[in-house]
Amino acid sequence: MPLQSKAFQRWLHGVAPDASTADVCRIAGIKRTTLAQQLVRGKVAESTLVSISRGFHINPVQALSTFDLYSDLRGDPVPPTPCELVSQVATIDLLRAVVERSEPGSAPAPHLSEPPHPTSVRNWVDAIDDGELRHRVSVATGIAPQNFSAHLTANRLPPELAVATSRAAGVGPAGGLVAGGLITEAEAGWPPDARRKALDAMTQSSLVTLAGDRLLALGKTLRRQEQDHERTERIWENLG
Amino acid sequence: MTAVLPWVTLVVCLAITLARIPSALRGENRDVFYIFSLITLSIFISIEAPYLVIDGWLGGMNIGNLVLRFLLYATFYFMGVKIAMAFGSESAVRAIRGPIGITAAVLVGALTIYFFAITDTRGSSAGMSGLTWGPSLDGYAAMGRLYPGFVAACLVPAIWRTVASTAPVLLRVASGFLLLGLCLLLLSQFFPLIPFSEAWLRVLINYSAAMSTCIGLAGIWFSKTYARRKRRLLA
Repeated sequence: MPLQSKAFQRWLHGVAPDASTADVCRIAGIKRTTLAQQLVRGKVAESTLVSISRGFHINPVQALSTFDLYSDLRGDPVPPTPCELVSQVATIDLLRAVVERSEPGSAPAPHLSEPPHPTSVRNWVDAIDDGELRHRVSVATGIAPQNFSAHLTANRLPPELAVATSRAAGVGPAGGLVAGGLITEAEAGWPPDARRKALDAMTQSSLVTLAGDRLLALGKTLRRQEQDHERTERIWENLG
Repeated sequence: MTAVLPWVTLVVCLAITLARIPSALRGENRDVFYIFSLITLSIFISIEAPYLVIDGWLGGMNIGNLVLRFLLYATFYFMGVKIAMAFGSESAVRAIRGPIGITAAVLVGALTIYFFAITDTRGSSAGMSGLTWGPSLDGYAAMGRLYPGFVAACLVPAIWRTVASTAPVLLRVASGFLLLGLCLLLLSQFFPLIPFSEAWLRVLINYSAAMSTCIGLAGIWFSKTYARRKRRLLA
């Protein structure tokens, strides 16, 4: 559930006491109608808060942590685990790393693309899952397991669910927000070269195995998309 | 409202049929154009005013209704096969076009003629509602609902899979309309349970089914055009 608009307005007043709504929207780069609508409904999206925080040069994680719902985020950032870091390396970067390792010196290590990548959410959950995680999350939050799965498949993670998942897994509270694309890794307090270091620290066997797993999952997704596409085309071909 | 509904349905179906003329002339999916034409013609004949005129030409003993029945059987056969192929249901194609489906169609057709022949059908009236109803007319009416119901039952699972899939939203909505129309036809199997005083309910269900099916089919066409246009704009 997004942020209560009363609490949000209190926060906004603390951040920009003299700015008008129009100013806030201009600085944050959000539509006035969007913000107005969210305020009227009484629920402001976390992404709105993050945009405004960025506009006013405040750390979004700290801004979120002022809300009771996100009290987990208070205090110093918890460093991510190596598994979490590697999970936020895009598959194509992972494959490049495999090539680099197999043929050293062929090319300089390229820059890793920023998270989120197309399967960030599922990879992150898989990385912190001890086998019982989904069950614990569904008990703690009341989300049905199939709905949780649907989020993973759609590569989205509502911020509240992200924090609940981190809590259930016992990892730093901001990791899921990075995987879900709400905040950047820098905002979460991850060191800039942390993902590269975690990747380099992997043994070749685990790197290759992980790349294989990712390719297998990607193949499944692509096959499903192709089948869906074929089905749609057949309907249009016959009845369109 | 039930007096206007048939005409509204006719106008909608006619509009869709006319809208398909250009693509039919270009040779794109003529079958769909023929299906819409058949549906439109069936609806036209089923409405009281045109029915009385046409049946008058045919001798005023409700042969018009018999013609209408067979027109509907043909419509459902062609539409059923086409939709089953479109929604990729091999089993539905086999059920409609295979031995079972053909047997069902022949049996229903033969029984329709039989029941018609043994009934005193003199005196034109739309839906034969002005005649004295007995078991033979009940049987006749049941046959008229049975075959469309059979075809609908064959198609429902495959269409439902598309409605619940990740296909483009417009296509899913259109398939939903089609599904609704077919489900109403399944519902119409329970017409004998509706008391005679509530006849408007039958009219409502019948024409809603036709309307919903047509909107669904037209919607599929629209979703294709929309997707193609969007792709062109993006390219």
